[in-house]
Amino acid sequence: MFSRSVLRSLAADLRWSAPSSISSAAPLQQRACLHQTALLRTSQQETQTPYSPLSPETPLSATPRVQNSQPVAQNPPRVPSSDSALSFVPQTRADVPTAKQPVAPSFESPIQVTKSLMSRLPHLVGQSPHYVVAELHARPYLLTEGDHIRLPFLMPKVKSGDILRFNRASAVGSRDFTMKGSPHLDERLFECRVRVTGVESEPMRIKEKTKRRQRHTKQARSKHRYTIMRVMEVRVKTPEELLEEGAVVIEDSEDTPTIEARQ
Amino acid sequence: MPVKGIKTVTAARNGVGAFILQCKRLDFHYCNYGGSSRGMLAFLTQTLPNFARENPQIEIRVSPRHSKHPIIKGHYINGREKSICVRNLEPSDILSKAMILKDASGEKLKQQKKPVASLNESVRGIWSPYHGDLRGV
Amino acid sequence: MKRVQLQRWSSTVLSPRARTVSRLHQHLYGAGSRCQSTASPLQVDSNAQSNLGDASFEDVELMKHVRSAHKRKGNLKYPSPPVDAAINSAKLAALHARLYLPSRLPPQTLARALVDASADPNADFNNESLATLGHDLLTYYTTEHLLCTYPRLPLTVIFAAMYAYAGPKTLAAMAREWGVEHASLPGGEVDPGLLQFRRVEPGTDIDATPNARTPRPYAAQKAWRMTVTSKIFYDDEFGDAFKGPATSGEGVTAELASATFVRAVMGAIYLHAGRPAAKRFFEQHFLSRHLNISELFNFSQPARDLARLCARENFEPPVARIISETGRKSRHPVFVVGIFSGQDKLGEGAGASLIEARERAALSALKGWYLYSPLNVRVPSSMEEEGAASWKPVYVDLGEVIV
Repeated sequence: MFSRSVLRSLAADLRWSAPSSISSAAPLQQRACLHQTALLRTSQQETQTPYSPLSPETPLSATPRVQNSQPVAQNPPRVPSSDSALSFVPQTRADVPTAKQPVAPSFESPIQVTKSLMSRLPHLVGQSPHYVVAELHARPYLLTEGDHIRLPFLMPKVKSGDILRFNRASAVGSRDFTMKGSPHLDERLFECRVRVTGVESEPMRIKEKTKRRQRHTKQARSKHRYTIMRVMEVRVKTPEELLEEGAVVIEDSEDTPTIEARQ
Repeated sequence: MPVKGIKTVTAARNGVGAFILQCKRLDFHYCNYGGSSRGMLAFLTQTLPNFARENPQIEIRVSPRHSKHPIIKGHYINGREKSICVRNLEPSDILSKAMILKDASGEKLKQQKKPVASLNESVRGIWSPYHGDLRGV
Repeated sequence: MKRVQLQRWSSTVLSPRARTVSRLHQHLYGAGSRCQSTASPLQVDSNAQSNLGDASFEDVELMKHVRSAHKRKGNLKYPSPPVDAAINSAKLAALHARLYLPSRLPPQTLARALVDASADPNADFNNESLATLGHDLLTYYTTEHLLCTYPRLPLTVIFAAMYAYAGPKTLAAMAREWGVEHASLPGGEVDPGLLQFRRVEPGTDIDATPNARTPRPYAAQKAWRMTVTSKIFYDDEFGDAFKGPATSGEGVTAELASATFVRAVMGAIYLHAGRPAAKRFFEQHFLSRHLNISELFNFSQPARDLARLCARENFEPPVARIISETGRKSRHPVFVVGIFSGQDKLGEGAGASLIEARERAALSALKGWYLYSPLNVRVPSSMEEEGAASWKPVYVDLGEVIV
């Protein structure tokens, strides 16, 4: 056990490209990474989250609420059947207590990028559109902006309208360039946001179970439910943005993400 | 005229910019006499006001349907509707059924093999046999 | 079935002329029966209610019912629902919440945006003014987005892209996707959450409306050539001729009424919540839709256009060369042809004959030229935000090739 932890700490030093999701011991953080989603919340909640350096500037534009210049409490139109006058702001996941909200990952060290990556990154950024091979429960999904995803499972604790950020990807690329991670990219290199649009289900499946020499057949029924999503944004960060966020430029070495041009 | 424009219509991508919940109306039908509506009546008085407050984008109608089992019927933006019979259910179960109708997209249920459906062209292009050098085996 | 017929009968019995006359009468003599303020009740209704109140009914529930029925009957004399009905409409509240409209936009304005000019000819109660404002905003934002993002697009393609983003067909589809339902007939008693307009009589030819509003001289001469440049001057944003004036007596199509509603919502957001909210609404609902601009081109002679383009830009004249081929003697030959200007490959295409492949190559070269998009595009209206960075001039192109 001891040797493994030592090895792991060594590996954490080496594999800076996949920082906290592997080496960190914080259980909550690992849980957040298990879903590979860092939940974005509405603007007022986002200020409360402890993790600010990565908090994107865009979620306001991502939230469906139109106005933001107005600080007064929202008094939404009520259904006439309910007469009680309560000022209620429709929020996503409002019923989850703050202590149980998933925590956005925090990073001990600033992101390190190699010189060759920095030199080739402008080519990748400048060539749109982009795709990302995001991984979710060890399954890859090749996503572009505006794609419709039907996950092969029902994602717990999300509501329709929530915005998630996929933070584990094995590749981000454009037509001629691909940035590949080893095995995964640092989540600070790109942004991929999806919006949960609802839950779908399959038609009822009926499997007839029979046994030999018996006239009785049993019917096993199943009807799975799946979360459906829509990709809002796939973006690679520019070198200027990375430097603003405190990226450190280092010499080339193995086991770092590289940008490959098409043959 | 060297080039003409072809008139088309942009395709909707609900959720990329604004998100519009696909369920636009929920009808709750109950019976005042029948025993199977007991849970529904409790739901209507206790849970429904809260549910309606949390989902202001759904129009909610409550109407009696004499000597029938209670049902919830969802009307969707694509014009389809789904109904669930909630006879003899507890209020909490009825709430979960209402949530199912709320989250549904209104589409007909289909078996789907591919997880990702895209309107965009392939980012890296389609492979062509006429390009690139011949590779030795 | 019978009930539906009765309702229809009740509203059709009152001819539109009779209603407008009565309304005009009230308007002139200051009866004040239609106020924008929601606080003041209708005078007629209050009279009716007081009369009812005198007759003492014992059953309170029945009284309520009778009163609401009287009120609804009182609404029959209006061509569109009264203002105070907007607060009690569940449909309207749901629509307001579904679109995440700002709370500063009251449901009364949304109700007004749902009343078409064909339903209520009074300009104080229909959405015509809101729609005019919304249409101007929409076309402005769309135009600046297109011109800054794709500065080299030919004008005809810009017209097509404008139509795709903000044309009536798209707006009608959006209204449908917002869950807006249509009232079968407009009237004061219908739910204000329904889109109200007077439908076109069945059998009328929609395209036969006279182009009375077009300022183009000699518009009647169909055979005369219309230049693209003249379309900027004489025609609307989509390069189409202005249609005849929408008179109040005639009906409108459902598509047009839905489009007017969407424009009116845009105008209402601008008026109530301000410019940033209107811009955000535009970005979230209009720009987020999917459009492949490269599919809007329809070239007639791409090779000729490309030759002219190279001559204009002082490139070497384009030459088509075979890159690879297979099965020239077979039934399914494939040629891959590239178009080169000197050493630079401008485009390439594959086809079953040499001519087809060359046309496709020229087409891809032209699309590559026209679909140029600068990095980090900023639109002029971004300068309206507070604390915006100083304006750098955007790329303005010479224009399309003139053949």
